[in-house]
Formats: sequence, C-alpha cells, structure tokens
Amino acid sequence: MTEPVCIEIQHVSKRYKSSQEDSLSGINLKIHCGDVFGLLGPNGAGKTTLISILCGIIPASTGEVNYYIDGSRISDNERKSRIGFVPQEYAFYQELSARQNLDYFGAMYNIPKKDLKTRREHLLEVLGLEKSADKKVGTFSGGMKRRINLAIGIIHEPAILFLDEPTVGVDVQSRNAIIRYLQQVNQAGTTIIYTSHHMSEAEEFCKHIALIDHGKVIANGELKMLKVQNAVSSLQSLFIKLTGEAYRD
Amino acid sequence: MFKLFSSLRKEFLLLINDKTGLALMFLMPLLLVFIITIIQDSAYKMVNENQIPLLVVNHDDGKEGDKLVALLTKSGLFKVDSQNRIQQKALRSELLARGKMLALYIPKTFSAGLESNAGDVSTILMDDLGLEHDTTDKPKVDMPSLSFYNDPVLQENYSTSVMGIIQSYMSVIENSLMIDRMYTSMDLGDKSEVLKDKMISNRVKIDQIIATNNNSTAIPNSTQHNVPAWTIFAMFFMVVSLGSNIVKERISGSFLRLKTMPTTFMLVMFSKMTIYVIVAVLQVALTFSMGIWILPRLGLPMLAFPQNFIAMAAVVFMSSMAAVSYALMIGALSKTEQQANGFGAISIIIFGAIGGILVPTFVMPGFMQFASNFSPLHWCLEGFYVLFLKGGSWHELRHVFAFLGVFILICQVGTYFKLRLERII
Repeated sequence: MTEPVCIEIQHVSKRYKSSQEDSLSGINLKIHCGDVFGLLGPNGAGKTTLISILCGIIPASTGEVNYYIDGSRISDNERKSRIGFVPQEYAFYQELSARQNLDYFGAMYNIPKKDLKTRREHLLEVLGLEKSADKKVGTFSGGMKRRINLAIGIIHEPAILFLDEPTVGVDVQSRNAIIRYLQQVNQAGTTIIYTSHHMSEAEEFCKHIALIDHGKVIANGELKMLKVQNAVSSLQSLFIKLTGEAYRD
Repeated sequence: MFKLFSSLRKEFLLLINDKTGLALMFLMPLLLVFIITIIQDSAYKMVNENQIPLLVVNHDDGKEGDKLVALLTKSGLFKVDSQNRIQQKALRSELLARGKMLALYIPKTFSAGLESNAGDVSTILMDDLGLEHDTTDKPKVDMPSLSFYNDPVLQENYSTSVMGIIQSYMSVIENSLMIDRMYTSMDLGDKSEVLKDKMISNRVKIDQIIATNNNSTAIPNSTQHNVPAWTIFAMFFMVVSLGSNIVKERISGSFLRLKTMPTTFMLVMFSKMTIYVIVAVLQVALTFSMGIWILPRLGLPMLAFPQNFIAMAAVVFMSSMAAVSYALMIGALSKTEQQANGFGAISIIIFGAIGGILVPTFVMPGFMQFASNFSPLHWCLEGFYVLFLKGGSWHELRHVFAFLGVFILICQVGTYFKLRLERII
C-alpha cells in the first residue's frame, strides 16, 4: 500500500537577485510519509536551495510547497514544529557544551523542561556523546560535531527531517553511527529528506531519489526501478550516466 | 517563559565563556578610571598644591633681581633653585640636564633698567604736576628683558600660567620702584611705605563660583570627570564581545537554523539586549563603586552622586541601549569577527576622541566641536555631566535623550535591514 503524501512540491522555481539564471526551475515532486528520500546531484545542482525552500529559510520565486500530516495540510507555523533541519554547517554554539546546546535548541522547539532532559540524555547516549556531554563543543572532533548537529535537529522528534550532507567530513565509524541511528529514526515513522555526495551511502540509505542537475529534476522515483530503467548496477553509475563526467563548479 | 529563560541562559553562557570580552568590559574600565584619574589628579595637584621646580640665574648688579627671587620664593608656588654661576648661554642645556622643566634668567642690567624707567615715569609726572625736581641728567638704561626657559615637553598653557605669575610679581616690583622714585623726587623720603602696602595688599579678589543648575555640592574634579567618561568608553567597548558574538552566529548558521524553528528572532535579539544591558549596568556599578570606595583610599576625591537618582538611572539605561544597539549593528554589518573587532574598537576610540572622552570638547577647534555632536559617546557623557557636574535634571537632559533615542533607532533599523537582507529575519 502506498503511504500518503507528506510533502508536495509544485512548480517550484528559484532565481536569486544576483543571478541571471534560475537555480531551480519548475520542480515537481511528491515525497511520501515514512520515506527516506534522497535529493542527489552534482555541486551547484540546486539541492541546498531546494532544502532551504522546503525548510522555509528562503522563499521560492514561484510555485508552492504543501505539507501534510495524517492526510491534512498543515500551516507554516505548524510546519516549524513538525520538521527538523540538520544543515551542512555546524549550526550550533561552539562555546557551549553538548548538553547546553541541546537544552537551548530543545527549548526553542517548545519541548517541556521535563521531557527535554529525558530526550537530551537519550540522544547523548545513543549518539555516543554522553562522556563528552559537558565539554565545549568547540573541542569536539569532526565526527562528534556532526553527531551533535544531528541531535539538535531531532531532539523534538520531528515528523519530517531534512538532512543536508549529514556525514560530510567524518570518519567511517561516525558515518556508520549516524546512518544507523537515522535508520532507527525512520523506522519510528520520521520521513527523511537527505542530500549527500556519498553515492554508496545514499544507495544503502534511500528508498526513493530525485536526481537534480542544473536546477531541474532529471530523474525521480524508486531507486531500484531507476537502476533497472537505466540498465546500471549502482547509484554511482546512474549518477554518472545521467549527469555526465564533466567538472562542475 | 521557559523559552525566554533558555534564551537568556544561552546568552549568559556565551558571555561568560568569552574571557577576552569580559576582561575588556570589566577590567579595562577599572584600569582606565584608576590610571587616568590618578594622572589627572596629580597634574591638578602639581599646579595647585605642589611647588614647581624653578631654576633661577640672577646676574643682576642691583637689588631688584634679589627682590624678584625673594617674591617667587615667598609665594610658595615655586621650589627655587638659585644657580648664579651658570652662564646664560649654558642655561638651556643646564635646564634639561637638571630636569627642572622651568628656568628664569635675570640679566645684569635688570635693576638699572627698572630704575631708569621709574625715573622717566617720575619725571613726566613731576613735570605734569608743575613740581620741582632733580633735573640732572642720569644715564639711560634700556628696559630689561627676563628670559624664561621651559622644557619642550611642558604643556604650553602650563608655562603660560607660570609666566603670568612672574609678570604679576614684576608689576609689584615696578610699581614699588615708581612710588619710591616719585616720593624721593618730592623729598618725602620713607613715607612711601604706607602707599606701597595699600597698593600691594588691597588688590581685587576673585571668587571662583562653579556654575551648576541647582545647589549641587558636587565639586568638579578628576573623579567626577573620569569615572563617568571611562565607564561610557568601556560600555561601548562591548562591541568587541557582542559584535563578534553576532558575527559568529550569522556565519555558523545558528541564526538560519533558528529560522526553521517555532520561535521568533525577536526573542534572540531581546535576550542579547537584556544580557548586555545588564552587563553595562554592572560596568556602571563597578566603576562607580570604585569611585566611591577605592579612589578615596588612594587620596583621590570621592565620587559624589547627583540628587536625581531616577534621572541617573535613565541616563545609564539610554547609554547602555546605545552601546548595545551599536554593537548589534556592527555585528550585523561585519563579514568576519576580525572586521567586527577591528572596526568596532577603532570606531569607539574615534567616537571617544571626538566625543570628549579623551580631551574635553571645549578645548577642540570649532569644526571638531561640531563633529562631536555625531558621537554617541559625547551625548552619553553629556548626560552624565549634566547630572554629575552641572546639577541638572530632566529638563536639561531632553537633548541627550532625543539624540540617544535617534541613535538607538538608527542602529536597530540598520541591524534589522541587514539581517533581513541576509534572510535571517
């Protein structure tokens, strides 16, 4: 049985004021609840722009994005409570400890004080940060910073989670820990929209993908089906076949 | 409420983790108030209470040179060091070598010149009155010149006032000589003493009255000037801490992340402003406490509070808001932390210089006095001076509040538009 649509992207285009070209052009996508959806593409394809529009950081120039929870469309305000965002940057306070960062961002998500403590300690434990929880995050390794960046994005147990390259620049151990935990989060019912340049990781993690290039969707669907349709054995081969081998700036 | 508390707590934690910022905001004003007040107070005492070292070379053949030296010594203003063996040519190098700062050379013909001039004046007077007098020709001696030397490091106004003192003693000597000569011409002998006493002792007194708006008992002194001035300077130096705090949050993406959350950016800005206004109030409390309890123990004047305490609290609040708003704007406009720190700190020094923190505005040239109107530090300082030195109140503060209100508004609007341009708000 097909899951209900969670995010509906209709004719979304984006042109920045400083640019002569569209960064995104006529994007139409449907993301189903409970999916792990990969937004893939080469550098400058428009993935981060699309995620920024989906999270409400920047507005689309044209088109609209609708969110549905339990079959009902939700308002922009409710969307803020139901989505989680894990940006590519370390978007937290390096001078504060992991606990202090989680306390602050948790409070900004309106989590009651009592629940916040429980969720904080749970996340610190499952992401292997409990021993360093009171150290300043600025002293953490790259892998630990990625994990605390993720923890902040999921502390409010969002229905939809946006991940912009959540494993970039980390070692194999941290990457495995992050992907393993994200799979658990997805199994618990969270819809995940994810971008990455790690094709093997995306192949292992995503059920559906949309391949974006030059601001347009050039392939969209179930990963297995796309591989069969394009007669390739891996996501990497599919990627190269559809986007070419030329350098991208 | 929990959200507000968490936001305030986060700002507080960021603040206490910024050790350099804390040192700049709390140690710097204490050191500045301490050092500048001591320096200014000792300069004040040097002029008004201490004796000024003065090297005197008296080559006069007559008595008048000795009289001048005696008057200078008797005045108690100078610590006279008489070195009559020194030649005039060598006096410059001797002055520098002995570290005396000031020297006076009395020439050989000093008495003769003065007596000759007194004789001329007496002759004119006797002729005009038609009285008989001694008409025998006496040798003419030109009016003498005293040579006054000063170390080039000595401030011009300081040496000018010393020359003024010498000039006034010269008037005493010249008048005395003229009276003597006239009485002698009239064969009145020693009777001139009564007139001389009357002329010298019965001079017009000048009472110094400090112009205040009420009957304020606060006496202008180095403490009353420096404690508010350097507190304001330190308040605005929060630009280094708060400015770089804003830049970091913008660059790290924390602000953008907050945009995806069910919270308002106003909460973030309100929390920052609240914490840093508290910092500014603590800076005031700290430096003012120093003015009340520590400076008097070092022999410096005690800080006297104005009568209108509520008006003072309002000035403190408006000054704090001006400093916080400026720091927010610098943080929003700067691209990097280095830019915020560098531009922020230098702009405060410039604002301080043109605003009268380093040098009072009344000694500046006209165009600089006009420029001082554009310095927020000038208006903050003016607010404190109205209360601390002029005994003013709300009425005298209206221009201060108007300017600071406009300044705060410009900074807040500038911050809002820059963050809006970056799509943070």
